[in-house]
Amino acid sequence: MSENAAAHDAPTSTGIDHKKLIMWLFLASDCMFFGTLISTHLLYRKLYPAGFTDAEGHQRFIQNLFNIELTSFSTFILLMSSFLMALAVSAMHKGQIKSFRRNVLGVIFFGLIFLGCQVFEFTHFYHQGLTIQNSVLGSTFYVLTGTHGTHVAIGVLWLILMYFYSFTGKLGGHVGALDVEVAGLYWHFVDIVWIIIFTAVYLVEYLGPNGFWGTGLPAVTK
Amino acid sequence: MSHDSHHAPVASKLELAPERSDLGLLRPDRTTGWSDWLTTVDHKKIGILYGAFAMFYFLVGGVEALAIRTQLIRPDNDFVTARMYNQLFTMHGTTMIFLGVMPLSAAFFNFLVPLQIGARDVAFPRLNAFSLWTFVFGAFVLNASWLFEFGHLAGWFNNFEWHKNLVYTDFAPANGWFSYAPLSGTFGQADASLHAPRFTGVGTDFWIIGIQVLGIASLAASFNFICTIINMRAKGMTMMRLPVFTWMTLVTAILIILAFPAITVALIELMFDRAFGANFFNPSAGGQPILWQHLFWIFGHPEVYILVLPAMGIVSEILPTFSGKSLFGYPIIVFSGAVIGFLGFAVWSHHMFTTGLGPVPTAAFSLLTMAIAVPTGVKIFNWLGTIWGGRVRFTPPMVLSLGFIWMFMCGGFSGVMHSSAPADAQQQDSYFVIAHFHYVLLGGVLLGLMAGLYFWFPKIFGRMPNATVAYIASGMVILGFNLAFGPMHYLGLAGQPRRTHTYHAGFGWETWNFVATIGAYILGLGVFISFVNLVWTAFKGKKCASDPWDGRTLEWSLPSPVPEYNFAQAPVIAARDAFFEDKHGGKRIGFENDGGEAGVHMPSQSWMPLLASAGFLFAGFGMPMMAMGVPHAGWIVITGLGVLIVGIWLWALEGPGGYMLKTPAVAGSPAPTETAAH
Amino acid sequence: MFSRFFSRVGLLATPILALVVAGCSKADMNVRQSTLDPKGPVAQVQYDVFMDTVWLVVVLFALVGGLLVYAVIKFRARPGDENAPRIEEGHGNPLVEIGLITASIGALVIIAIPTLSAIWYDDDVPDAAVPTSKLAAWYPRVEGAKENYAKVVEEQVLEIDVIGKQWWFRFEYPQFGLTNDNKRSVPNEFVIPKGKAVRINLRSEDVIHSFWIPKIAGKVDLMPGRKNHMWIQGDEVGHYYGQCAEFCGDSHAYMLFRVEVVEPAEFAKWVQKQKTDSQPVAAGSKAETGKALFGTKTCVMCHNINGNPMAAGAFAPDLTHVASRKSLAGAWLDNRDPKAQLALEQKDKNTESSVAVDNAVLKANLIKWIGSSGVATGADGKPTKDVKPGNRMHFYKMFNVAGLNETQQKFTDHELDCLAEYLLTLK
Repeated sequence: MSENAAAHDAPTSTGIDHKKLIMWLFLASDCMFFGTLISTHLLYRKLYPAGFTDAEGHQRFIQNLFNIELTSFSTFILLMSSFLMALAVSAMHKGQIKSFRRNVLGVIFFGLIFLGCQVFEFTHFYHQGLTIQNSVLGSTFYVLTGTHGTHVAIGVLWLILMYFYSFTGKLGGHVGALDVEVAGLYWHFVDIVWIIIFTAVYLVEYLGPNGFWGTGLPAVTK
Repeated sequence: MSHDSHHAPVASKLELAPERSDLGLLRPDRTTGWSDWLTTVDHKKIGILYGAFAMFYFLVGGVEALAIRTQLIRPDNDFVTARMYNQLFTMHGTTMIFLGVMPLSAAFFNFLVPLQIGARDVAFPRLNAFSLWTFVFGAFVLNASWLFEFGHLAGWFNNFEWHKNLVYTDFAPANGWFSYAPLSGTFGQADASLHAPRFTGVGTDFWIIGIQVLGIASLAASFNFICTIINMRAKGMTMMRLPVFTWMTLVTAILIILAFPAITVALIELMFDRAFGANFFNPSAGGQPILWQHLFWIFGHPEVYILVLPAMGIVSEILPTFSGKSLFGYPIIVFSGAVIGFLGFAVWSHHMFTTGLGPVPTAAFSLLTMAIAVPTGVKIFNWLGTIWGGRVRFTPPMVLSLGFIWMFMCGGFSGVMHSSAPADAQQQDSYFVIAHFHYVLLGGVLLGLMAGLYFWFPKIFGRMPNATVAYIASGMVILGFNLAFGPMHYLGLAGQPRRTHTYHAGFGWETWNFVATIGAYILGLGVFISFVNLVWTAFKGKKCASDPWDGRTLEWSLPSPVPEYNFAQAPVIAARDAFFEDKHGGKRIGFENDGGEAGVHMPSQSWMPLLASAGFLFAGFGMPMMAMGVPHAGWIVITGLGVLIVGIWLWALEGPGGYMLKTPAVAGSPAPTETAAH
Repeated sequence: MFSRFFSRVGLLATPILALVVAGCSKADMNVRQSTLDPKGPVAQVQYDVFMDTVWLVVVLFALVGGLLVYAVIKFRARPGDENAPRIEEGHGNPLVEIGLITASIGALVIIAIPTLSAIWYDDDVPDAAVPTSKLAAWYPRVEGAKENYAKVVEEQVLEIDVIGKQWWFRFEYPQFGLTNDNKRSVPNEFVIPKGKAVRINLRSEDVIHSFWIPKIAGKVDLMPGRKNHMWIQGDEVGHYYGQCAEFCGDSHAYMLFRVEVVEPAEFAKWVQKQKTDSQPVAAGSKAETGKALFGTKTCVMCHNINGNPMAAGAFAPDLTHVASRKSLAGAWLDNRDPKAQLALEQKDKNTESSVAVDNAVLKANLIKWIGSSGVATGADGKPTKDVKPGNRMHFYKMFNVAGLNETQQKFTDHELDCLAEYLLTLK
């Protein structure tokens, strides 16, 4: 194995490892992916400033639905998970496997909190009347944030597998550090995308009295 | 000096001990026929498989095209029904683009890129196999729609409860290859089961999932190739020494990774509309069908260059070889290829000139579209410059390449005509457009790819295709092609709209439709003969030398067929076209014994890519079946996703593996001298 | 020998292309949907721009193609080359490259200029088409002038709403009260006065369609959820052919329409006629039976006939004047005598001439159209072949009318005959 691994790590033309490079390429592609989704949401948000109509036929605005405190909290949690991820990568580079495990467990835990918040949020919005079927806004919101949530879930799954794999003793050395670093790249990217989504979907609604897009209608209280 | 001297008989893997993966399972190896092809990670074998599947689907798409032309041979014909005709042109377009041209280009990427850059394989051999099988299964899913359609027409499903409940009975897609919403989507409100009324049946679901799976295959392959080209170049192979084909592969792969996400998202949104009653493109709920067009063409226009650039790369290799002279203006050819790729993202709305964009966007996209003619023109000028002052040898690949330039030029010129939006208002969606893009994609891309096949076939199989048959077939292709598509310029200007399954007499379209159909038959026969010639050559053709054309790039330095390890010793190069320079001038290639005593490292074969991609097969069949209302079809989808996850998981756990192979020992080969000029 | 013969295969394209070009020049430029025979300012401008591009391309083609042919012949390998010294490796010539790039940009500017001016010209009714538009020159400075200008445009420009449906077009003239809301819409064949600018508002009620009358104007799409517009003007009296140009489902090929360009006085008469109701049918005639069938067979649920109080549907084409129209079923079935029509077109050397409706053809068409639409059965007991597959005349599937089963909705030959006789009275 070590011999093979050594041969596999033949120096590359650029000096960047294959795995790291392909992850960067994947992330470039994923940028376009999220870019398209976020654009879809913003285009429709601009087109239909008046929000959506709930099951009872009431005109509703998305900012009345948002619980900005909760979403800020989950955003903070996700940011902190990135910090822990950085610590995990650093630990792995130093060969401190125990520190790696501790940090990665933290990342998993924080990721799960984020996902929990999202599940709570989706249920809450659903009960408030925003569904994927009743408005374009519902479609774009759920698909965009849901796709991000799927990315987080895949990341969590990946890290869980990596956590357990570390107990086999096979995760180590240069290759192991590289694998963790690549997972870290993915995790940081998903985190950054969330910052953009948080800004473009949530925060802009709080700019000015009627939100960045305006409503065209007088504000309605819950 | 002889370049073949490096390649004495080699240690076979048979002599090595069986290898176990990290899971403790025996890894498959090269010793058994079928399982070797199913588990191979050798880029050359994967390339051959891509090529074989692509040629098969070329014939499928060709049969569809001939059915279309037969229907149009005379006015008011009823060779096929309106719906069948719509399904035929939808599947013809989809098949030719996603299952014909793209995989045939991928075949060349796979076979050639590692050889041209002096590598032993791609960066991720197992991912490469995964791309191949995902493509194969995506193609199966897409074409399974025909199976269901014929089953439906034959009445196989009549006794099933789900079939009696079907509202829409089209099983093969009938939306055209760009599946414009809302025809492909929904209208009105979703019912309790989250289904909104729609215009088309499960054919569209097959199309959505098929294209989605094919997109995954293309993306995975592209990540791999960019990584390979950037990271695995031989020593001395700087970016500006890369063969032009490799350069175009790089640009194409970059286009794929940046363009495919748009269609992925569009397909997800359409799928949510159809399956869960979302409103992305549902006009009655405020969705904007125009968004589908934007998302589709943001992908769709770069896709055009994804199809064309590899053929341009191939021609840029063939012309210098048979002109006996290096490519004129290499940096400008490379740069213009990159500019075409870049501008390709800025012209998508010229497919939408008639959708009421307003004058300012129309003008902007009109001008940008004209601008893209400049780098394209530059390529043609440089090819001309390459021939100029050379000694042109006529061989099948060269004749086909010249045909490519000529036909592509015609297609480019009609492209300039409808870059002008007001002129396009008359031409859009008429036969003029059909003529234009067939000149580009058939006269251009297909001739280019056929030239590539004839050019590299001796390298791939070590056998030379029969030139006489090749000339006859190529002549038929070029003649039939011009007969079929030349008149369509006139038909379009005479007002015949595309995608109409029939037309009345009295509109003045009868004669030229008849001529076009006869041309199509000749073209079809020509392509068929050409493919038969190639397949026959692969098994029975005359053996030939390893460098029959006096080639220029590194792959010609290897024996034919190429040994599994490609290079016995890692090449070190000191010039562009180093192999040609080395043959005819000073020392430009050296070899370093990178394997040492242990030999060179070869990747192990694996079942896991095949297993993982088989998940897409189940999921791809299951989702349209769910839409049909087949009971328990949901379990097929869940099985598929399970297989996919388990496949990837085992793939990760089995470890990359690999074994050491002793290549023939070569006496120390001195490093080449660097030249300042390159 | 073969290689010498086939070495020119690549160049075979030249004579073939020349043949095609020659063929095109012999081909008829004046066919029914020809874009090369413009009969209105919009089509004319589009044609002019197109011809600009054609000439530019012909010149470039001759230059580049000529050079290519010359180079291939001049620089072909000759016997004895094997022993000749190797060709000096060139690396391109920056001056040539930059010169060619500049030249191509220059060539493109030649077509860019007319393109830009045509884009704005085609976009909306130009000031030149509104005689008093000099107002426009100073309206920004005059209080209320903008509104005034809009009013002038409204008065002087004919406005037509076009509504696309699978697979037919509905035309409405809101300025004359000819709208679907007023039960006065016009399906598939519309009329415009000669020499008057017409603003067309394009709406779709289902999928995307495209509005194209090649001799009058290039196409603009009817996008659901969007309000597109275009303008047209017919400069020569005649009967013009149009067709939906965006794939819109099963029967896309059958979605045709016609426009009649008439003298302004004729137009006024036509408008008046659209406001009249149908004549009562003679008692005891076949037509009277047909009128009753029109009700009992549920036709009335979708179709409107002014003068028949039962028939007030709003979904399907208005049939008040169906027998006066030259075509049926989305203009796919022609109600004129085909031989007489072709003879007239050849005699007049244009396709705009039109013979009158032939009642026998019309009746046959009506029977074929209604009889085939899934509501009647052929001799073998199976539904006859659809004239337009997927059309919405399969009404027994659409409406579950109480007490009406499938058999009752089907027509006997006699019933079809009566119904056709009734529709024939709707002049």
